[in-house]
Amino acid sequence: MTKEEIQTLYKEKVLPEVKSPFHFEKDQNADHVIEAYNPLCGDKYKIYIREDSVCFHGFGCAVSKSSTSILLRTLEGKSKEAKQKLCEDFIKSFEEDRDVDLPEELRILLELRNFEGRVDCIQLSWIAMLEYLKNED
Amino acid sequence: MVVNWKSQFPIFDQYPNLAYLDNAATTQRPNTVIGTISKFHQKENSNIHRGVYALSTQSSKMYEETRKEVGHFLGTDQHSIAFTSGTTESVNIVARSFVSPQIEKGDNIVISILEHHSNFVPWQQLSIEKGAELRIVPIDKNGTLKLDVLKNYIDFKTKMVSIGHISNSLGTINDIREVVTIAHSKNAPVMIDAAQSAAFYDLDHQKIGYDFLAFSGHKLFGPFGVGVLFVAEPYQDQISPYNFGGGMIRNVEESNTEFAKYPFSLEAGTPNISGIMGLREALNFIQDIDRSIARNHVGDLTKYCCEILSEINGVEVIGNPASSIISFNVTGIHPHDVSSFLDKDDIALRAGMHCTQPLMKFLQVPSTVRASFSLYNSLEEVDRLKASIEDLKKFWK
Repeated sequence: MTKEEIQTLYKEKVLPEVKSPFHFEKDQNADHVIEAYNPLCGDKYKIYIREDSVCFHGFGCAVSKSSTSILLRTLEGKSKEAKQKLCEDFIKSFEEDRDVDLPEELRILLELRNFEGRVDCIQLSWIAMLEYLKNED
Repeated sequence: MVVNWKSQFPIFDQYPNLAYLDNAATTQRPNTVIGTISKFHQKENSNIHRGVYALSTQSSKMYEETRKEVGHFLGTDQHSIAFTSGTTESVNIVARSFVSPQIEKGDNIVISILEHHSNFVPWQQLSIEKGAELRIVPIDKNGTLKLDVLKNYIDFKTKMVSIGHISNSLGTINDIREVVTIAHSKNAPVMIDAAQSAAFYDLDHQKIGYDFLAFSGHKLFGPFGVGVLFVAEPYQDQISPYNFGGGMIRNVEESNTEFAKYPFSLEAGTPNISGIMGLREALNFIQDIDRSIARNHVGDLTKYCCEILSEINGVEVIGNPASSIISFNVTGIHPHDVSSFLDKDDIALRAGMHCTQPLMKFLQVPSTVRASFSLYNSLEEVDRLKASIEDLKKFWK
């Protein structure tokens, strides 16, 4: 990606999400709290889960924060099976370097796929969420 | 004195505009090192020791000559030098093969909060395993090691004091001679992690008096996968074998094995011979340059970088960098985002925790941006760094 392409991506997609993240707050009474943590860079979010809502809080780069925000907005209100499929499809789209059938909003994140060295940032919360969903009783 | 060091590094032929500011992670390789490794593969390749044909004896000779040259580099002889895969393995060997057999509950190990994980986790894990205490010396607000605390922490139950010479995160230079004096007054052995200092700093054993020292080839213009462990003579017989296999034995029977003496006792299996040849050439490269000029050069760049970063509103330099490494943060912009944007201006630097999570927690910063300098960097590149950060700040508003 060129500098201009990154600036455009940040300006149009990433920074608006960072400045107004979806449900960016703590929830001390959540049913479950999962942690998305990258030990290499220090990014750490807590995702608070209730039956009918999700929110998140923590510290991380613009890419991981915007990706987490989009993740939660996309998943909220969906069934467990739908959430798990979405997470799997999204992660798979990176691993196999191919497009899968994803909602339009997630295609924004796929544009970041070619952003050198930042795939871990994009996937951070998605992997944590998928792990949680797979192990959920 | 102006020396065109950059022209000796072919990476810059490929990327003429690259400002490579990640030298604390790894340095670039000069033509001479690349040529030596290539020549070995093309014209000299054979395994060492045991072969009695010409190619093998020549390889063995060059390998052992390298041991002698590394000894000379540290002001000692070849008998104290073992080849390893790098600093990490060297520290682990000392933890597992020297300290582990003699440490017990109630003893302690002294390290500092500045340590890289490679000089932190091996001691932490050994302490947990043995029920010993890990004493972690803090730093002051300038990032300087608190030697008064170190003095209090070392006692006659201290089985090892292991300290980095230069902090890979903050660039702090520790007074290792003073550390050695303090430790030896309590009969505690000292290990120095010289990964960040070996390229430009004098590590003469006779002058400093450390007992163990480790460094890596790739941080002083050599190849990946080779490193050095120095063990002082009184401790050489107390290091037990680390890996078992060929090359480290004297006699093998069906029921028992007699091992070779140090350093051969630590070098099981076929070593990284071409890497060792590259390390030798890297040491030649270092000794051919005037290290005091090189040290001044990176010191001047560091000082200048601190000054101009301090001029940028919202940029905070962490600690008081004195060597060739600077950590900083840009208010409101995560280090990874800073690094990604700077990359687009051909500035390569590192963002993250730099394998120093305890230090980051101590400083209460999640991560930092780190610039680290070497021979081929210039004031103009530091100016570009400033301009790029200012450009990013304008964009981010």
